[in-house]
Amino acid sequence: MAAHLSYGRVNLNVLREAVRRELREFLDKCAGSKAIVWDEYLTGPFGLIAQYSLLKEHEVEKMFTLKGSRLPAADVKNIIFFVRPRLELMDIIAENVLSEDKRGPARDFHILFVPRRSLLCEQRLKDLGVLGSFIHREEYSLDLIPFDGDLLSMESEGAFKECYLEDQTSLYHAAKGLMTLQALYGTIPQIFGKGECARQVANMMIRMKREFTGSQNSIFPVFDNLLLLDRNVDLLTPLATQLTYEGLIDEIYGIQNSYVKLPPEKFVPKKQGDGGKDLPTEAKKLQLNSAEELYAEIRDKNFNAVGSVLSKKAKVISAAFEERHNAKTVGEIKQFVSQLPHMQAARGSLANHTSIAELIKDVTTSEDFFDKLTVEQEFMSGIDTDKVNSYIEDCIAQKHPLIKVLRLVCLQSVCNSGLKQKVLDYYKREILQTYGYEHILTLYNLEKAGLLKPQTGGRNNYPTIRKTLRLWMDDVNEQNPTDISYVYSGYAPLSVRLAQLLSRPGWRSIEEVLRMLPGPHFEERQPLPTGLQKKRQPGENRVTLIFFLGGVTFAEIAALRFLSQLEDGGTEYVIATTKLMNGASWIESLMEKPF
Amino acid sequence: MDCYTANWNPLGDSAFYRKYELYSMDWDLKEELRDCLVAAAPYGGPIALLRNPWRKEKAASVRPVLEIYSASGLPLASLLWKSGPVVSLGWSAEEELLCVQEDGGVLVYGLHGDFRRHFSMGNEVLQNRVLDARIFHTEFGSGVAILTGAHRFTLSANVSDLKLRRMPEVPGLQGAPSCWTALCQDRVAHILLAVGPDLYLLDQSACSAVTPSGLAPGVSSFLQMAVSFTYRHLALFTDTGYIWMGTASLKEKLCEFNCNIRAPPKQMVWCSRPRSKERAVVVAWERRLMVVGDAPESIQFVLDEDSYLVPELDGVRIFSRSTHEFLHEVPVASEEIFKIASMAPGALLLEAQKEYEKESQKADEYLREIQELGQLTQAVQQCIEAAGHEHRPDMQKSLLRAASFGKCFLDRFPPDSFVRMCQDLRVLNAIRDYHIGIPLTYSQYKQLTIQVLLDRLVLRRLYPLAIQICEYLRLPEVQGVSRILAHWACYKVQQKDVSDEDVARAINQKLGDTPGVSYSDIAARAYGCGRTELAIKLLEYEPRSGEQVPLLLKMKRSKLALSKAIESGDTDLVFTVLLHLKNELNRGDFFMTLRNQPMALSLYRQFCKHQELETLKDLYNQDDNHQELGSFHIRASYAAEERIEGRVAALQTAADAFYKAKNEFAAKATEDQMRLLRLQRRLEDELGGRFLDLSLHDTVTTLILGGHNKRAEQLARDFRIPDKRLWWLKLTALADLEDWEELEKFSKSKKSPIGYLPFVEICMKQHNKYEAKKYASRVGPEQKVKALLLVGDVAQAADVAIEHRNEAELSLVLSHCTGATDGATADKIQRARAQAQKK
Repeated sequence: MAAHLSYGRVNLNVLREAVRRELREFLDKCAGSKAIVWDEYLTGPFGLIAQYSLLKEHEVEKMFTLKGSRLPAADVKNIIFFVRPRLELMDIIAENVLSEDKRGPARDFHILFVPRRSLLCEQRLKDLGVLGSFIHREEYSLDLIPFDGDLLSMESEGAFKECYLEDQTSLYHAAKGLMTLQALYGTIPQIFGKGECARQVANMMIRMKREFTGSQNSIFPVFDNLLLLDRNVDLLTPLATQLTYEGLIDEIYGIQNSYVKLPPEKFVPKKQGDGGKDLPTEAKKLQLNSAEELYAEIRDKNFNAVGSVLSKKAKVISAAFEERHNAKTVGEIKQFVSQLPHMQAARGSLANHTSIAELIKDVTTSEDFFDKLTVEQEFMSGIDTDKVNSYIEDCIAQKHPLIKVLRLVCLQSVCNSGLKQKVLDYYKREILQTYGYEHILTLYNLEKAGLLKPQTGGRNNYPTIRKTLRLWMDDVNEQNPTDISYVYSGYAPLSVRLAQLLSRPGWRSIEEVLRMLPGPHFEERQPLPTGLQKKRQPGENRVTLIFFLGGVTFAEIAALRFLSQLEDGGTEYVIATTKLMNGASWIESLMEKPF
Repeated sequence: MDCYTANWNPLGDSAFYRKYELYSMDWDLKEELRDCLVAAAPYGGPIALLRNPWRKEKAASVRPVLEIYSASGLPLASLLWKSGPVVSLGWSAEEELLCVQEDGGVLVYGLHGDFRRHFSMGNEVLQNRVLDARIFHTEFGSGVAILTGAHRFTLSANVSDLKLRRMPEVPGLQGAPSCWTALCQDRVAHILLAVGPDLYLLDQSACSAVTPSGLAPGVSSFLQMAVSFTYRHLALFTDTGYIWMGTASLKEKLCEFNCNIRAPPKQMVWCSRPRSKERAVVVAWERRLMVVGDAPESIQFVLDEDSYLVPELDGVRIFSRSTHEFLHEVPVASEEIFKIASMAPGALLLEAQKEYEKESQKADEYLREIQELGQLTQAVQQCIEAAGHEHRPDMQKSLLRAASFGKCFLDRFPPDSFVRMCQDLRVLNAIRDYHIGIPLTYSQYKQLTIQVLLDRLVLRRLYPLAIQICEYLRLPEVQGVSRILAHWACYKVQQKDVSDEDVARAINQKLGDTPGVSYSDIAARAYGCGRTELAIKLLEYEPRSGEQVPLLLKMKRSKLALSKAIESGDTDLVFTVLLHLKNELNRGDFFMTLRNQPMALSLYRQFCKHQELETLKDLYNQDDNHQELGSFHIRASYAAEERIEGRVAALQTAADAFYKAKNEFAAKATEDQMRLLRLQRRLEDELGGRFLDLSLHDTVTTLILGGHNKRAEQLARDFRIPDKRLWWLKLTALADLEDWEELEKFSKSKKSPIGYLPFVEICMKQHNKYEAKKYASRVGPEQKVKALLLVGDVAQAADVAIEHRNEAELSLVLSHCTGATDGATADKIQRARAQAQKK
């Protein structure tokens, strides 16, 4: 079912099974037929843990979306609310329960808080007079959800905004998630970190470990170290347009919980010649993960290297189908037939990705995409970052999407360690006049998050950082990359560079640059009992869990996978994050619309 | 050793009973046992005595003393009884003493005479008084059954979860029953009572008459009844001196006996061991003790003193003023080994080992004999088992030595049974010690489990011994040592004569970071004893904030709770404290508290943002956070205000705030917005249509689209829209209108600040090639090629590119050359390239 989770160095199926078990146990507590009322945001992440069939096995007969007034009629014994602990949701639940009480036969109500029970919410339910109606009130610690063999995400929408603008609830969840992970995969002996949030998460972990002293963890550690990285240490990377295959799919169509919705026209079987009479109107939905062999091969490649792989694959597959002519004996035919399902799947997969690649190519070859990329790359390589950029001006004048404009302005600001006050005010004024005054709130949010700021002290640190960390590589090889910079065709993501330098030669070599980046950097050790200390075999790679607090992009993931695969890399990475994101979804999460 | 079986008494052909001394009692009883209410807890538990002055009508002036002793007679507690007359005493399964008063009140005391709680058996009991009461044990806990003065029964099957049940009336019952008992069948408690020659079974709903199967005729009254330890068997003693023994359901008779003594016995209890086929009851009269079973003869003992019987799982304890004895059926293993002339393998092995010690060759003969029969394993097992049933350490040792000796001759004998027995015996000998006084047998110990035994040691405050046992048995810390230490600490906090500092330090020294110790539990106990300061000190050691915080709140240390909650990072916990604080403090103090806790403050702001907007404003005001205050009013201008005047006023407040925040830009922008809003309102009034909440850019566009060019110009000037953007704006709007004439006029109004390529592009977007071409010629040289290609003039584009000698332009044109039509042009470019390369 989820075999792709166990392909990696660390078997993440263990985690998936653990959370599935927990879910089953909860469902079995509520004996009899059930209906689940979903907080809609949870359905996506839950889909990665348990399909409907699992719920059905445990007598879940109906599923509804949580909304006001009455619940739809359902002839079930139990009604279970699956919700995030949010006050506004409690109000809706209370409304549901109260109107249900009037309806007739008594039901058993239960509530499952994801990922944590909240006293605040229970108090609200109590104030609304319905707390007593719930038989089971439990929590389901679904913090980190396995997305792929080397990828975990909390899919917590507002994590970045929460951490840097509001409160730090998501950091607490992150720490809890790491504790769960350690309970399953052993105590992680070394913790490195950079950034204020990283420091806090590490503190909480150490504190929580002290709380659990009773249960000595006797699992042999799978991870050698943990690297906690604040997103605000590297605000630059997500702003740039990702140029890997998966990154571009996400940039253009948006990947949600490993699914992407694509325009359907390209996916119509070509043979039917009846002239587009009934073109499908519903978007084509595809799941994207490494369970699909072809996708696993191309997802992390620079898009410019994808075409050749696809055409090579096409040749191999058609050659394989041609084999049938050579199959003479019954045995040979039988063997051919037995391979047929696999070959057909491969052909289907190839057709899909060829279509997607065509769709993407239409975008990437457009003039505007080229112009935008040129400006981005100029900024990242440090050209003309200190004055008003005419492309951005034109974008505003032509009312290009606001997110695109903000992304570029922020990129310029970050690459210049802040903009000159005059330049900044000019951009802000242009944006307010063109897109509306109300965006003053969004601009303020971006300033608070440090994405957009006036240059203070008159010093631009970015060139030093760029040079020391070799963030801009002129000689990038997109086809057969030798450096992580291939994921942005020239720009090496700062966050991944930090990870790379940590594993070799160590951060001591870049102390000066680390001090220029925000927040403290630190190292903590979690002592292990002697029996659990690892004796590394020569040539055995270390496993590092790298946790991005505030989100990570697919291009960064690709870069880390590239490092994992290096022959002499010495380190394999498992990636965890609060949210899988891209520049657009990131900026959007920081936008505020007062009406 | 020949005399070892001297105290064995045969009962019938197959069983022996023996009685041996556990302790010689150390108590110095002032009273005769017969003058006291006596209660002894099973499993070697404590003994409670209360002189019963209420029995004799007169002597009520002297207050009686309630005394509690260990099984060895060591005094544990002594207190003056100040409450009402007591009818019955009994011990609960948790070794709490239940004292049933005449008025139906039940007082509960701890082992050390500490008062725990009290409960009542109900109004009906209160009115009719208690005539008799029994404390009984069920699988749920301990129950109390009451016979009232109205000859009705009330019972509760579990005193820790008190549910009173009034049993149905027995028809025609005039006086008190001659005897009665509580029974437990199918997890329900019943009452069996005897009235004259009849027996009745009371359950919750009905009263039914029952007859014991095979009861001898001629019975006119039952004098005594006894239920076995496990409620499986029942014995009845009749006025004819006849004893009926059978199942508790009365449906099956096991045996009967006629003792020919018609005097009512003082006590009758069962004496049987688990998994044994033998059934026997022990009947006690004033000076006589009789063991009767399925045999024509009984075993008789003379009682020198007034004695009391305590039924146990596997026998009967008998104590008097001077001694404490145990009477039981000799276990099979012991019988096999010690029976006179026994040839059982265990017996031979014991002999062999003895001979071996005497260095006699007979040892070998015995050993050979066992081995020839292939019974050595069995012999070792027998010796191990028998050792367990021996009370005297020397006997245990000699049996274990024999087992150990036999083991040497076995290849593969799993050692654990031997090792475990040695360990168990060590534990048993330790607790049987006179000073501890818990005379458990091996079977009782196994039934009770080590966990419960540890609990009982803790109850007796025997912490060091309990810890030694845990360490000796290597129990996991959480179940063993830490649990005991936690109990010790809970006891320690009750020592009021020691200062808070000393107690806290002593506790932390002993407990340290021992896993599984809950400091908050100990602190809760300290708080319960009224020692808040100590509780706070102890909470400092608690690593789990989730545990610290609620207790701190309960103790009204909210501010401390807040900082603990913040330390934990658990925002929900912080919220909980915040809401608590909010109710507890006045607003000013609450805000001040927040001010010192940035994390709490930001959390509370979040809360207010969604729940209490006005409070949010106050918070910003208090902090002089003008920037946020400005944002707050901006939001209000959109969300809270409908009328334009209100909106402008809100914006004015925002602008003022921004000035205070020294955010000139935001202030100016806000003032611009106010102007724009007023203007939009006017436009709507004058021109109709929708203008409100459009951006400035869109307002101007709308004006142009509506043909109000003058006003558009004016607006652009008023708000100083940069020229470049204004050109883009006009260009786009005019093209949307397809007003080509106006567009051309506009293009000629002055030199375009954005060049002429956008004109070409926008015309092509509207598919107007004709208009596009007009502008293509005006495009500057560097964009000329692009413009020409846009309008589809490939040939001319090629010429310009060749003229520019620009490689990039050349390939751009080349990529636009399609098929045959542009063949010539393509060739031309190739030639130009070749030429360029030659140079």
